[in-house]
Amino acid sequence: MDISSFMAGLSIAVQPINIIWIILGGFLGTIVGMLPGLGPATAVAVLIPITFGMDPVSAIILMAAIYYGAMYGGSRSSILLNTPGDGSAIAATFDGYPMAKKGQAGQALAISAIASFIGGLIAVIGFVFLAEPLAAFALEFGPAEYFLLMLLTLSAIVALSVGKMVKGFLAMMIGLALSTVGIDTQTGVYRFTMGIPQLSEGIDFLIVIIGVYAIGEVLYNFLNIDDQKKEKKKVGKVWFSKDQWKRSRWPILRSGPIGFLVGVLPGAGGSIASMIGYTTEKQISKKPEEFGEGAPEGLAAPESANNAASVGAMIPLLTMGIPGSGTTAVMLGALIMLGLRPGPLLFQQQPETAWALINSMFLGNIALVIINILLVGVLVKVLDTPAKILYPMIVLLAFIGTYTLSYSTIDFFLLLIFGLFGLMMKVLDIPIAPLVLALIVGVDMEQNFRMAVLSSNGSLGVFFQSGVSITLLILTILSLFYPLIIKLVKRKSDKLSDDEQVYKSS
Amino acid sequence: MKKLVSVALISLLFIMAGCSGSASGNDEYPSGNLEIVAPASPGGGWDLTARSLEKVLTDEGLVEQNINVVNKPGGGGEVGWKYLKQKDAHTLSVNSSLLLTNNLLGQSELTYEDFTPIATLATEWQALAVPADSEYETASEFMEATKNNPTDIKVGVGPGLGNDDHLSLVQAASEYGINPSDLNFLVYEGGGDVVTALLGGHVDAVTTSLSEVKDQHQAGKLRILAVSSDKPVEGIEDVPTWKQEGIDMVFPHWRGIMGPPDMTEEQIAYWDEKLGNMVETEQWQTVLDNNDWEGFYKNSEETEQFMKEQHDLYETLVKDSGLVE
Repeated sequence: MDISSFMAGLSIAVQPINIIWIILGGFLGTIVGMLPGLGPATAVAVLIPITFGMDPVSAIILMAAIYYGAMYGGSRSSILLNTPGDGSAIAATFDGYPMAKKGQAGQALAISAIASFIGGLIAVIGFVFLAEPLAAFALEFGPAEYFLLMLLTLSAIVALSVGKMVKGFLAMMIGLALSTVGIDTQTGVYRFTMGIPQLSEGIDFLIVIIGVYAIGEVLYNFLNIDDQKKEKKKVGKVWFSKDQWKRSRWPILRSGPIGFLVGVLPGAGGSIASMIGYTTEKQISKKPEEFGEGAPEGLAAPESANNAASVGAMIPLLTMGIPGSGTTAVMLGALIMLGLRPGPLLFQQQPETAWALINSMFLGNIALVIINILLVGVLVKVLDTPAKILYPMIVLLAFIGTYTLSYSTIDFFLLLIFGLFGLMMKVLDIPIAPLVLALIVGVDMEQNFRMAVLSSNGSLGVFFQSGVSITLLILTILSLFYPLIIKLVKRKSDKLSDDEQVYKSS
Repeated sequence: MKKLVSVALISLLFIMAGCSGSASGNDEYPSGNLEIVAPASPGGGWDLTARSLEKVLTDEGLVEQNINVVNKPGGGGEVGWKYLKQKDAHTLSVNSSLLLTNNLLGQSELTYEDFTPIATLATEWQALAVPADSEYETASEFMEATKNNPTDIKVGVGPGLGNDDHLSLVQAASEYGINPSDLNFLVYEGGGDVVTALLGGHVDAVTTSLSEVKDQHQAGKLRILAVSSDKPVEGIEDVPTWKQEGIDMVFPHWRGIMGPPDMTEEQIAYWDEKLGNMVETEQWQTVLDNNDWEGFYKNSEETEQFMKEQHDLYETLVKDSGLVE
């Protein structure tokens, strides 16, 4: 690390105009992240014409602030309404929404803001010291390694579906099947597109998320709307308790680095990071049965991970000019327009630009945690909103969000189909997350598997060749069987000494 | 009487409305807001082309009417171009060789003949690159090795077969006497992924846009063996063209603009004038520089001819590639 460029970057980042952009971007990101269907990629894309007139450094600071701001905002609707705005906010529904249902909405919002903050900080520090070695590490990931990473992510489904394993796997199979729609990139063959050109690039997983979660949730609530009127929802305090903090702090500290590492890998991103963060905590928890019922650590872990991932995604963008996610891809396009070309020469030719961005991310996370904690009091009011106002609003936002994805009305039909599908799944008590998760990773998983096998001329040995792939394999096996092993160990220790068990769980 | 007056008034109104309608329809073009279709999502190459056009035409005061950029992604341009086909002359769309190849590959009913050629604006060049520590020092060495053992050499390409990245190497290979359908391609999701794969040593070579690999070459992270331009490219004069390597080809990855079918001669002349002026501006030159594009302006007439030639070339290439029978 070069101290003088670091200081030069810091002095750019603290210029009043840039501080304003950081706060504005963070706030805007929080808002778009909150609204189902509107995500950071859309927000950055909409801003492209505005950034034309801006200084390139300010532009990249603004766009980055929107990006990680959306990571803060994304979980708001997950917690309050069970409707994630983006793939990386799905994991926040698992325990965030149950917490809100238990009357702890305020605590949940506060803890997720703090978790995002700490995750973000960990990642910024990691960025400062590890950007270059990590960029080199990311290159180690070939098709085989990516396939195994996706497999590890899918193994999270086991953790999610404890108690209804068959239904979980069913949902996963449907998700994987849906992911095969569209052009097959290896051969150029059109699969299941039914002659509709809009389907040729596959079914956008965001439409499915909005459909099964937002529309599905509205329809489901419509079925039992009469029962809901009677209960007055409690929102709880706007700050978390000491006990909740105690339970969350280690998961936050563990998930930050995990999310950061996953974020550095081009193409992996926040969805995978938050899911791996969540499962890891559930698997090693002493009280796994509380996960899904409103465990604060089950919310804190993915929140820390996804924000760290959004910072990590800047590493391949800045050091190699390679966008690691949809949002960074849009950012790359906008930056090139402005004459700033992220890539291997950026740190050599314009180090102060790169360091200005890194410093701005540090300041931005501080601004965002303040914004989000201040917003808690306002946001919990959403729960007091009468259903007849709230649900039409959600439907409206869902349609707007869907339209902004590809400006096509065909997507509305998909939205409605998946809304009904989501309702059906809720009625039949089939978990939704495995379906969405499988759809998100399915395409890349298949293509990477085939590329790996193609490049090894058909041998499956390619999956055991590198240290990275063997590590991933071991992690997958651990993730699948860890609960089983723990149960066996516990049973044994139960027999040995009941006292010790009591001591452990207290 | 009252009734009669109102009837007369109403008919007068209709006549007036009719007059003004036809006046704006025939005499003046453009008579209202203009629209440029980017048949892709915001942030991509087509989107950048459309937005740059909008910005330069407006900023330089060349076009007084409002210009809106409309994103219509899907089907490799198909969705946007279908939309263009049913619009009037106030809507134009950005295009590229996908307009030709979608049809040749049997993925689209639309052909270049369905639209009115307006202009060819800019081009990028294609590059063949290998890792910095590759055993291949020159394009000829690489081609010779490929000729001897085509299946052993993995070439990364993205985001799909049949695009310019792919077909430029197909042309180079068949000029060198290699059967292009023997080439071993791994198809990645996009240009960025292809470069990552090369830097990580997961493929032996990549064929991609020059802009994706130019910086990396300058930084010594990889080696460009050949570019598809007619003369060496500024900034990387050490890289030979295919011609210098003894393979007779120049392969532009052009971008252009076209209108809906049946535009009148006046309307076409309008754009010849405006775009002809636009490409001379300094601001357009900056756009070209920022994007690593090169000026490639052809007016409507030249573009019509160019499209015909390109269509014939691509027809051969697509056949050679083995993608269609």
